[in-house]
Amino acid sequence: MNLKNLSIKRKLMLITMLTSGVAVVLSSAGFLIYDLTSFRHSLSQDLMTQAEIIGYNSAAAMAFKDEAAATVTLSALQAKEDIVSAVLYTRDGKIFAQYVHANAPRPGLPAPPQARGYRFAGNYLEVFQDVTLNGEPVGTLFLQSDMRQWTSRAKRYAIIFLGFVLISGFFALLVSSKLQKLISGPILHLEDTMRMVSATKSYEVRATKFYGDEIGRLIDGFNTMLSEIQQRDMALHHANDELKTRTLELEGEIVHRKEMQKELLNAKLAAEDANRAKSAFLANMSHELRTPLNAIIGYSEMLEEETHELGKVENVKDLQKIQGAGKHLLALINDVLDLSKIEAGRMGLHLETFDISQMIEEMVTTLHPAISKNSNTIRVHEAKKLGVMRADITKVRQILFNLLSNASKFTDHGTISVDVDRSTEEGHDWIRFRVADTGIGISAKQKGNLFQEFTQADVSIARKYGGTGLGLAISYRYVRLMKGRISVESEPGQGSVFTVHLPANVTTELPEAAQTGRASDHQAAPMEMKSNMDTILVIDDDSAVRDLMTRFLTRLGFQVVATASGEEGLRLAKQINPLVVTLDVIMPDCDGWAVLNKLKADPELAEIPVIMVTVVDNESMGFELGASHYLIKPVDRDRLAVLIEKHRAARSLAATRLESPSKKRSGGWKGTAAKHNGKTAVPVK
Amino acid sequence: MRKVGVLITITCLLSAMALGSHAEGLDNSDSSEYLIKAGFIYNFAKLVEWPTTAFAQPDSPIVIGILGNDPFGATLDRIVADKKINGRGIAVKRIKWSKDFKDLKDCNILFVSSSENEHIDTVVDAIKWLPILTIGDAPGFARRGGIMNFTLEDNKVRFEVNVEAAKHADLTISSRLLTLARIVQQTAADARKPE
Repeated sequence: MNLKNLSIKRKLMLITMLTSGVAVVLSSAGFLIYDLTSFRHSLSQDLMTQAEIIGYNSAAAMAFKDEAAATVTLSALQAKEDIVSAVLYTRDGKIFAQYVHANAPRPGLPAPPQARGYRFAGNYLEVFQDVTLNGEPVGTLFLQSDMRQWTSRAKRYAIIFLGFVLISGFFALLVSSKLQKLISGPILHLEDTMRMVSATKSYEVRATKFYGDEIGRLIDGFNTMLSEIQQRDMALHHANDELKTRTLELEGEIVHRKEMQKELLNAKLAAEDANRAKSAFLANMSHELRTPLNAIIGYSEMLEEETHELGKVENVKDLQKIQGAGKHLLALINDVLDLSKIEAGRMGLHLETFDISQMIEEMVTTLHPAISKNSNTIRVHEAKKLGVMRADITKVRQILFNLLSNASKFTDHGTISVDVDRSTEEGHDWIRFRVADTGIGISAKQKGNLFQEFTQADVSIARKYGGTGLGLAISYRYVRLMKGRISVESEPGQGSVFTVHLPANVTTELPEAAQTGRASDHQAAPMEMKSNMDTILVIDDDSAVRDLMTRFLTRLGFQVVATASGEEGLRLAKQINPLVVTLDVIMPDCDGWAVLNKLKADPELAEIPVIMVTVVDNESMGFELGASHYLIKPVDRDRLAVLIEKHRAARSLAATRLESPSKKRSGGWKGTAAKHNGKTAVPVK
Repeated sequence: MRKVGVLITITCLLSAMALGSHAEGLDNSDSSEYLIKAGFIYNFAKLVEWPTTAFAQPDSPIVIGILGNDPFGATLDRIVADKKINGRGIAVKRIKWSKDFKDLKDCNILFVSSSENEHIDTVVDAIKWLPILTIGDAPGFARRGGIMNFTLEDNKVRFEVNVEAAKHADLTISSRLLTLARIVQQTAADARKPE
């Protein structure tokens, strides 16, 4: 174990020493063994020769049984120090003569002569030699040598060997201690360098390369690694710095963003405030604008009629122009209000079920003057079994009205065709309205923003054809509101085809309350006979309205009681039990909603139909509170007349049922406006 | 007297043969004296070189002649039977004393038995120039011109060599043999006879 932990220096020296030691010992030992063996062999040969000589010399003595002579012959061996004993045996194995060296201990002699030859017995070399006389055996000679030459030679060799090993070991030590530095030096240097690098963490240090051997390559590799680490270290530092900078930048950015956010939030709040202000302004403005327009349109109509009766035909046209301008202005205001409502998401749907053919018929009738104005002819094609659809009829009407009035507006001496059919897609029924004309058409470029607000195909168009430029935008939004779709195909000069797809059964997320409210109201059919059949109560704070309503209704043969106050209205209603009550909403003392509420809460008055006549566009509220109809100022007088006549007829029949709800409820100022347009022609510049 | 000795010897040999190792073990005892001497004679043949003229052919046998009474009986025949020295077989031949020495001259080794003591000089003189190894059974034979003779020392069989006589006979005796022998000179007749 300790051996393994030795330093490389020691290991190298140890290896060298061991290697050289093994080499020296092996080669020396080999040589010694060879030498000693061959020496032993030569010794044995010598002894054999000796034995031959002695045998030869003693052969005759043996042949002639001359022990003395034989003993003398053997005694000659005294000169040979190594021969410790010699024996001559007769042929029958008896000792004939023997000799023992004076200094030698007397060894046990082998009694019977053995096979000829030499053998090593212990430390002795023994030889048996046949003694022959002229080829005939006469006895056996035994010689025993203590191999003292060999022993002394071995001893001498041992000493020489030991000395040789020591000396060569010493020199090997000397040489290896010098040479091991060739290997251990660079390694120790490398180790020093490594330790220094790991201690100081400074990667600029490089190990010195001494030689081009494996260690040299190792050092090269180490240096390469170091420089790699150094580079990475630097890159890391650099990246770290950059990261810090970036972080700082980011922090700055975040602070900046937060400020921006705060600003944006403020801006948003300001914008919302502004929007609210705008909405409020628009609501106010619509009221403020419509109120004078009511007066303008109403009085101009009155004047026109009166002037007509007086025969002042030249003034009639002027009055008609005033009327037309007023109505155009009204349409503009309404469109703008509608758009802003749609934009604000406040446009609701009032779903009802109606007959499609009937609606189309009404539309065509209403628009007939406008269509024929440019010498156009209209062709209506309806598929069989169109049946009914459930949708917001007001909005459907306006969509078709816009499309048809556009078609007639941009077509001259042409044909306008309306195709309506019903189809089934994915399990739902769809109604398709297709309005085609042969007019000027729309270019591909114009198609792109056709459904955007305030966009007419061309600026010049507004001058030439008039219009608010909002018709298609509103139509588009209405279609979307009812989850339908609208598309256009057109070639400039070839006419246009607008196609509207609407679900046959439009659904809405709005609560059904508004409708059920209305429905219950409509089913309150039985009328009391006690009401004053010809009296109409008008409750409106606007004296102009009261005046106009009074004059108009009087002309139709009704008695009119008008009041500016809600409280007064309630009192009057009880007193006179009118046929119908017309009710404004915005009034100074007690607003229309409160009055309606009280009317409907009083069992005496609950049966009296209430027609809301107001600028406030909140139909659902009115129906919810129990109003029978909802008209928006300026009032379409024809429609008002029809409604009142219906109630008179119903009352006169004494407890009869009302007509179908769809017909009765087809109302709203838009439809009215359309009819007006139809009657008075589209304003022309 | 001689006959008794021979008989004794034969008896001994027979008993030795009968007893096997017992007889072999008694190398230098009296009873086996001639057994030993027979072996000696055989060994002498090994350590003596004859001139090439001594043999008719390269494989001519070495002929051992026994002059006079044969003290060996069958011993010598048995020892040399089937033996070969330098490619030569060995033949044993018994010779009776005769004047013409004819049979003597065919021998390469001539053992002169004690029975022929009176003819020693004659024989030696007759063949002293011939390459014949003459061996006497009793001391003094070599001194009287023979080449070798047996002696008994401490009851052990030893031998004497007359190197001069060997030279005369053109025989080369191995130094190994000579180192074991007592070298004697030819002396005036019977100088050392009593012993």
